[in-house]
Amino acid sequence: MRFDKYFEPTTVEECCSILKEYGSDAKILAGGTDVVPRLKNKIWRPKAVVGISKLPDIDTIAVQKDHLVLGAGARLRKISLEKSLEKDYKVIMEAAGNVSSMQIRNIATIGGNACNASPSADAIQGLITMDAIAVITGPEGTREVAIADFFTGPGTTVLNTGEFLLQFKVPAPKPGTGAIYKKFAIRGDTDISIVGVGCRLTLQIDGTIEDARISLAAVAPKPIRAIEAEMLLIGKKLTTELIEQVGEAAANSCSPITDQRATAEYRKEMIRVWTRHAVEEAELRAKSS
Amino acid sequence: MEGLIGKGELRIDAYDKVTGKGLFASDYGNQFPNLAHMKALRSPYAHALIKKLDISKASALDGVIYIMTGYEPGLDWDQFPKASIIAKDETLWAGQIVALVCAETLEIAERAVELIEVEFEKLPAVLDYYAAIDPNAASVIDPEYETRPLGFSDRPGDRASNRVSPNVVGEFKMHAGDVPSAMEEAEIIVEGEFWTGKKTASPMECANAICRYDSDGGITMWSNGAGVHGVIKQGICRILKIKESMVRIIQPYMGGSFGSRLNPYVEVITALMCLRTKKTVSFQFNREEVFTGAPSNWPCITKVKLGAKKDGTIIVNDYYLAEEIGACVNNTFFSGRLSSSGAVPVYRFPNLRMDTCAVATNTVPAAEYRGLGCPEGEFGIECLVNQLADELGMSPVEIRMKNIIDKGERDAFGELITSIGLKECLQSVADAIKVEEMPDQDAGAWKKGRGCAVGGKQNTPLGRSEAEVWYNSDGSIQLFISCDENGMGATTALAQIAAHEFQVPISEVKVTKGDTAITPYDNYSASSRTTYNTGNAVILACEEAISKLKIEVARVYGLHPSKVEIKGRKAILVGSHVQEVDIPSLFAPTSMFTQGNWGLQKGTPVIGHGLFCPAPIHQWDENGLSDRVWNWFQYSAAAVEVAVNEETGQVKVLKIASSADTGNPINPKLVEGQIEGGIHMAIGFSINEEHVFDGNGKIANANLSDYRLPTILDMPTNENVHAFINPDPLPDGPYGAKGMAESITIPVGPAIAHAIYKAVGVRVTGYPMTAERILALINEKKAKEAAK
Repeated sequence: MRFDKYFEPTTVEECCSILKEYGSDAKILAGGTDVVPRLKNKIWRPKAVVGISKLPDIDTIAVQKDHLVLGAGARLRKISLEKSLEKDYKVIMEAAGNVSSMQIRNIATIGGNACNASPSADAIQGLITMDAIAVITGPEGTREVAIADFFTGPGTTVLNTGEFLLQFKVPAPKPGTGAIYKKFAIRGDTDISIVGVGCRLTLQIDGTIEDARISLAAVAPKPIRAIEAEMLLIGKKLTTELIEQVGEAAANSCSPITDQRATAEYRKEMIRVWTRHAVEEAELRAKSS
Repeated sequence: MEGLIGKGELRIDAYDKVTGKGLFASDYGNQFPNLAHMKALRSPYAHALIKKLDISKASALDGVIYIMTGYEPGLDWDQFPKASIIAKDETLWAGQIVALVCAETLEIAERAVELIEVEFEKLPAVLDYYAAIDPNAASVIDPEYETRPLGFSDRPGDRASNRVSPNVVGEFKMHAGDVPSAMEEAEIIVEGEFWTGKKTASPMECANAICRYDSDGGITMWSNGAGVHGVIKQGICRILKIKESMVRIIQPYMGGSFGSRLNPYVEVITALMCLRTKKTVSFQFNREEVFTGAPSNWPCITKVKLGAKKDGTIIVNDYYLAEEIGACVNNTFFSGRLSSSGAVPVYRFPNLRMDTCAVATNTVPAAEYRGLGCPEGEFGIECLVNQLADELGMSPVEIRMKNIIDKGERDAFGELITSIGLKECLQSVADAIKVEEMPDQDAGAWKKGRGCAVGGKQNTPLGRSEAEVWYNSDGSIQLFISCDENGMGATTALAQIAAHEFQVPISEVKVTKGDTAITPYDNYSASSRTTYNTGNAVILACEEAISKLKIEVARVYGLHPSKVEIKGRKAILVGSHVQEVDIPSLFAPTSMFTQGNWGLQKGTPVIGHGLFCPAPIHQWDENGLSDRVWNWFQYSAAAVEVAVNEETGQVKVLKIASSADTGNPINPKLVEGQIEGGIHMAIGFSINEEHVFDGNGKIANANLSDYRLPTILDMPTNENVHAFINPDPLPDGPYGAKGMAESITIPVGPAIAHAIYKAVGVRVTGYPMTAERILALINEKKAKEAAK
């Protein structure tokens, strides 16, 4: 592990200017659970490493009137235990709590989980399910990107050279909303997900589904939404047949690979199974909200 | 004083290990400010030609001391441990060393590895038994196979004749009774083909060695390898041709082995680098290298056909077994005989035919792994015995009680069974799990089932163990031994034996262990033999010291030594004017007036030496039969309750009971620890652990994230783990004890397999029984039912 400079900027402006100076030779360090192994294994050989933990409010977790603010440096374990999220943002707590072991969650951050852009990342599934907005800052100023558009491929995001992720804004859900994230792995959270399924349903008073989100982990080059499955749900009431169809549609919408964790076929089948469970349980939560 | 045998004494190494004060081999690196570091460039391909290997840039890097390649002069690579053979022209598995750098720092060594220019040309590779056994398969083994000398093999018949494929490199055949006729007599026949996955023992400490270049040209090594005398020192002296007096091997605390460190694949090459560079060098494997550069187990493929009478009496077993041994070039070790040995000591097979072989593949060379292939070899038999019970409407317990061999009987080889407590083992686990009853089911996706199985494992007579014991002039005891302490607790058991013999508390015994310059010869700790072999040597050493001490005490009081009894610090005298004497008071202080070259003297211990070696085996006849093929047998039974998820195929062990026939246990607490550890290990390899290969034949899950070792959360909760000891004393064991550590892992897999069948109705034919595989079987069954 070798690099020339380590910076710990205390203002956003300072951070921007360092990133501007070093361009693609700089790597941002938040929790370090993904960056440090890559530095050690020489997968990355940056000239500068920029720690962002000293930036003001970078680790904020703040529930506001119509949205939640999650600083990019908010620790996953803190998010997973934050009582104020329980009412409206439970799925974000759950997804953050599903990442790896407690030791990792103690230092890993929500921004790091997003910028690492692993298709199998759990914490970002909560954000996708809840239509979070990424707040990005850089030399050209600050911009906002919908989380669904944030990822461009395995390990890549819309972040341009010199830009960095500041925070997420998560709109407060409408009444009648329930959301859940289902992680499937052999040894529980410690393992990297074989698949993950997030689901949010907003129900009308009579139980008709007004809005639906289904997000899938580890079954495509990036985290994806199962749009067709969502469309099947909207405007209908949940039945056993519909749940089956939605599972099928979700499985059809993904393009998994075979790797050391599972075969592509098994992943597809697990999407079918866990989409069914996620939809059922999201409805239960929506009804009780 | 009451004896110590059978007492759950606290481990003598517990405090050191729990507090982190104990030193392990790699800790000794701190002693050497100029320690040089080794780093290997390893093949990324399972089979490839080395088209170009240019080390000039790497050699020119400042701080690089030496770079060794397959072209290193003056070596006979065939003599080296397989996993340390540096590739020359051709790599035989992904992970084989292509060049080995020695540099002033680890970082420089790593940079030098990157600077080595190497070009490969990929060749077709065979990665498993099924690919390797094909008659037209790519050959892993050099074409000289037929003409090679058999090296150290002393087993005629290991050379394969009429080879099915170029990768068959050893065979063994035996035939007891008349299998074809018995098959015709059988009223019910069950048969199947079974496979097992390739796994790596994963002790906490990665393989490593530090080798000091001594001022006289000799070497001193600290390593976590096993067998300081028999494996490491003998290996180094034989292969590198240096004098025995110039090699000293020290084994500090070992961070585990499970058999994997019985092969000196780190030590010989590290000693070689030390001698070439005349520097103190360190070779530390990282976790990935433990998978790709250290030996794996050898998976077994079995084809088993059992014939029985309607009443459940098994009369015949027709048994084929293949050991898949990886890239073991010039194999002289494998023939299928080791793994198939488990088929013999458990059941009374009046007719048994074994046809076994070893098959090489382009994977990491195989070596010992807990159980020596018996868990893999017995899996199919146990599965079929369970199936037989199901088809006959018998319980899996009942059918075994009918067929398990009894003490005093001879097994199919013709060996006398002198100790077997297996029926009692089976009964205790079956009762604990209520294996003959069905568990309650609910409507959810998790279905429950119960199953049981048994296993037996031979003990191989593996040469000498020696021990030395000192009765110090203050009455304290010192024990000198060279057996390995892989973590099993044998050192504690041996200290307990010495304490028992001298009738002192175990705290009075100080153990010095594993230093070839100090402690006496012990071949190595393998085949669950330490308590038995070294234990007998310790008793002999104590007896000799006590007998000498009696003579000395008797002289002082004018008695015959038989009139003296030694009880710790005290001697009890019969027929003397003194009834009892404090022995240390008899050791005369050294002064101008009392010095002399006889009698008890302060500071000079009374020394006893013990040597124990089991009887050698007898060469088998043309049918593979002999009345002494192995030494004695350890047994275990297991029963489990599992839950199987019908939607995902996941298998969870909810309850487990395991029982060991240990003979009389020296320390039941340590036995329990071995049982619990064995269960954990077997749950891991039965359900999850296996190598997964990428397109280049490299292990894709060579890390502890994707190679799914069970965590504590994968074990049943404490109240659902039952450990039993059902001893049948071993007549030739110390106080009737025998080894037990390997047997535990044998029955767990087939017990889980049967529990899965009871839960969801699918018969598993191999392990690991991963979620994907179980789900595929469930779906296959559903499709069949739908087609009806």
